[in-house]
Amino acid sequence: MDIASNLAARAYASAKPATKAEDTSNPVAKAAGEFARLVENGEKTATSALVGGADPHALVQALAQTELAVETAVTVRNKVVEAYQEILRMPV
Amino acid sequence: MNDLNKTLALATSGLRAQSARLRLVSENLANSDTPGYQRKIASFAQEMMNTQAVGEVRQGPVRLDQTTLPKVYDPSHPMADEKGYYDGSNVNLMVEIADAREAQRSYEANLKLFEQSRKMSASLLDILRR
Repeated sequence: MDIASNLAARAYASAKPATKAEDTSNPVAKAAGEFARLVENGEKTATSALVGGADPHALVQALAQTELAVETAVTVRNKVVEAYQEILRMPV
Repeated sequence: MNDLNKTLALATSGLRAQSARLRLVSENLANSDTPGYQRKIASFAQEMMNTQAVGEVRQGPVRLDQTTLPKVYDPSHPMADEKGYYDGSNVNLMVEIADAREAQRSYEANLKLFEQSRKMSASLLDILRR
């Protein structure tokens, strides 16, 4: 009985990292999480503004922040793709 | 990016506070002929989070102007006393117009700040595009 519970505790501890929400030590993962949070907030505010829950100020703020986040993500992605293509064009 | 995002939030709180103030001005104007109406005064307070100011502004409790109500002579009025006087409202149209104009100017200032922080972040991203 004791051994079984010990084994279960060990298995639980080893399974813990797999269920972790997001890796906070990785800056890229952190930025992606922040981006997802901003976009989700924008969508939520837009929905509640349409049904009359949020005031227009909150809507404008959330949409501006979402726009900013999406522009940042797109610009960074374009830069990364550009660098990748630059490497592909390199004569070997 | 975090600072610019925060600026957007701060400017929005200012916009919201000023529009609440304009709403009170409008209530006062609408009730300028209501007997016994005391004019409402908007107040502002700092937004607190865990007993620490976060920089945002919010609408404080609404106060009532305690100046004495003017006596209006109208014996035919249903609320008139035996001498023919009833309590008017202490709304001063000139003061309300000045207050509305102040709310408008403050709103415009916050809008400008909102615009500027958007422009700044857009030009920051423009550097990456070249």
